[in-house]
Amino acid sequence: MALFLIRRLLLLIPVFLAVSLVIFMIVRFVPGDPIDNLLQIGSTEEQKTAMIAAYGLDRALPVQYAIWLGKMLQGDLGEAIILRQPVSTLIAQNLPHSLILGSLALAFSTLVGIATGALAASFKDGWLDRLVMTLILLGSTLPSFWLGLLMILLFAVQLGWFPVSGARSWSALVLPVLTIGIGGVALVARVTRAAMIEIARKDFVTMLHAKGLPPLQIQLGHVLRHALLPVVTILSLRIGWVLGGAVTIEYVFARPGLGSLLITSLNQRDYPVVQGCLLMLAIAVILGTLIGDIVQAAMDPRLRETLR
Amino acid sequence: MKTILKAALFGASLCTLMGSSALAQNATFVLGSREVGAPSYNPIKATRLNAANTFIYDRMVIQDADQSFHGQLATSWEAAADGMSWTFKLRPNVKFHDGEPFNAQTIVWWVPKFKGTENAFMTDAIDKVEVVDDLTVRFVMKTPDPNMLFNMASTFMGIPSPKAFDALGDRYGVAGAVGTGPFKLESFTVGQQTVLVRNDAYNSASALSANKGPAKIARLTIREIAEDSTAFLELKTGGVDMLMSVPTDFLPRLSAERGTKVMTLPGTEVYYMPMNTAVEPFTDIKVREAVAFAVNQKEILDSLFGGVGAVANTFLISGLAESKVDPKLMISYDPSRSRKALDEAGWVAGPDGIRAKGGVKLQVKLWTQNGTEFKRVTEVIQAQLKAVGISADITIFDAATITAQYRRRTEHQLAVRVYSWANADILDWFHSGKRLGHPNHAMWNDPKSEELNEKAMKGSRTWDERVTNFRAYHEHLLSQFVFAPIYQPVQNFAFSEARLSMPAVIRGTRLQGQTVVDIEVKK
Repeated sequence: MALFLIRRLLLLIPVFLAVSLVIFMIVRFVPGDPIDNLLQIGSTEEQKTAMIAAYGLDRALPVQYAIWLGKMLQGDLGEAIILRQPVSTLIAQNLPHSLILGSLALAFSTLVGIATGALAASFKDGWLDRLVMTLILLGSTLPSFWLGLLMILLFAVQLGWFPVSGARSWSALVLPVLTIGIGGVALVARVTRAAMIEIARKDFVTMLHAKGLPPLQIQLGHVLRHALLPVVTILSLRIGWVLGGAVTIEYVFARPGLGSLLITSLNQRDYPVVQGCLLMLAIAVILGTLIGDIVQAAMDPRLRETLR
Repeated sequence: MKTILKAALFGASLCTLMGSSALAQNATFVLGSREVGAPSYNPIKATRLNAANTFIYDRMVIQDADQSFHGQLATSWEAAADGMSWTFKLRPNVKFHDGEPFNAQTIVWWVPKFKGTENAFMTDAIDKVEVVDDLTVRFVMKTPDPNMLFNMASTFMGIPSPKAFDALGDRYGVAGAVGTGPFKLESFTVGQQTVLVRNDAYNSASALSANKGPAKIARLTIREIAEDSTAFLELKTGGVDMLMSVPTDFLPRLSAERGTKVMTLPGTEVYYMPMNTAVEPFTDIKVREAVAFAVNQKEILDSLFGGVGAVANTFLISGLAESKVDPKLMISYDPSRSRKALDEAGWVAGPDGIRAKGGVKLQVKLWTQNGTEFKRVTEVIQAQLKAVGISADITIFDAATITAQYRRRTEHQLAVRVYSWANADILDWFHSGKRLGHPNHAMWNDPKSEELNEKAMKGSRTWDERVTNFRAYHEHLLSQFVFAPIYQPVQNFAFSEARLSMPAVIRGTRLQGQTVVDIEVKK
């Protein structure tokens, strides 16, 4: 297992370098530049040239990349051109909000998703299964932006249970977590159900039934356990998504977060911030996949064998 | 025993009353969604500032909606006849929030601070600042700047405390901000909220405020909400007390809300459509004339904006003296003139209604940037152009991409745009031959225009002279049809009538500090 871990960690280095290069180039290949957002009505061409030089944007791209990479390896993500603060400070301000929202939403969708998926599989083709599948279809097709506004209308405006927006109290987390979580529930429940139905058809399950084990014990102790492998894969892939993909939710609920920071900076072409945010999200995806692999390896001895 | 009980009850109810009145002095405002994410309260170095900046800082002068100027930290001023010096008398007994005095030395420190910043152009014409006495300064000019008062009234001209500014260095504006304004900064989280507390020593209100003393609100939270629907629901549920800027399409819903009042101020924005004069078919003035007169401003005002705001018939907002041009030069919908111009230019209507010349159809590119209002206006313009025989294909870009496209100079033809500015020098910004592509989207580079522009920008010694020169430049641009004016929005804001009482008249060009000192929280 230790060897497996070391190999996986070493593999991350080239992946990280490749990702950093792609991020750097992508940001610069998009038309537009940050200086346009800095120029005031009335400023002159000379001031503009001076500004381009001041931010090092007049240097060759490989030089700019080398400077950025060098500083990044020392833990310096640079200074935001428009926001005028160190990128690391901006990320440090926004990341905790994204982590709390993302991890709660992930936890919610994991627990509720697995439970509903297991229920639907256990009562396959029954009315409960049909009900759950209908709700899942609804949950996965509703746009989160619209769902968020509906949630606000019902729980904040009509019932007055939670605040409409903001990040000033724990109660303000409930509606955004539910809004993001519902989409995740649909996905996890669908995968759990499909995997459980497939596992239930395996010979070892028939044998367990033949041995006379109670159906509930078979479902939870054996079928669900095996069915969790694909669920873990899906969940690990969602780690990166819940960090950066909650932009619309952050927008609707007026919450800070990495997604909002990224979108605002992208609109203004604030290169250092966009690079910093994308790098964080890429790291989240890489780590998510790594965690998924480790959990899977821990759960499934066969996987450890093949990776050895 | 009974007396003690009574006294205790009386005391308790008094405490409750006092508590509720202290609570009632708190208010929460929401900034307009376009102001969300302004990164700092550093007026010298920032390139974006939100409206709350004027709650923290005072300026030398402030501008009223009729474009007149009124003293705030300056009580009076005088320009030399040749425009080569300006003398300002300063308000006495003014102190910064940190207790530092405001006087002539503050101005001597302040003006050179702009050097090397993005805002340097506003003080570029000032050679040096001389102290006449403790409360009088003289700006010695490199060149005359009749625009001096406008620049001094800009939000970027909020005067910070020299001591706090130097002590905080690069962190100034984020970690702290110290001015002489009606509110002190307590905390600031970029993109989220700013908490302000009343400056009890405030004594520098201008003639635009009815209340000359400290503000009535004791504690003011300024929230930033990017989504307008969310801000609206916050106001509806009492989560906030005022939305400082409301999009026009929310007005019917807000007006229908009981307990919510909507007020408007004259706008500083103009929707317009530049025409790329460097590419066919807009190299022909007749085609430009046809496009300009094909735009039905009234229809756009009524059908898209519910009649709120005003039509635009020139390039400038109606409040500016330079917008009062010869009525014959104003551009307002005239389909017969449009068709006649196209006929004269040789564009003949085909069977499908679209005109053609020499086998080439009159088909043009019509660009705009993303945003619901832009899309809607552009779609209506497309239909209006079709009505006179011009086919327009719409493309929508994000703001940064469209700018990069303009810089390529020959890619664009027509574009629906908006600008926000309350000074005639915007004519130079968008039409000077030195800025072709962007921001001179019309690619307008004509010797007579350049001459008139130069005269207006640099050859004016006094404000009146500047108005005359800019009017001449404006009239020339109108006569050349380099753009089609469309619409002038107003500024809308909405508040809870149960919570706030507003002054009867709102003065100033925007909802700023001078009005906020007059706002009272209802008990």
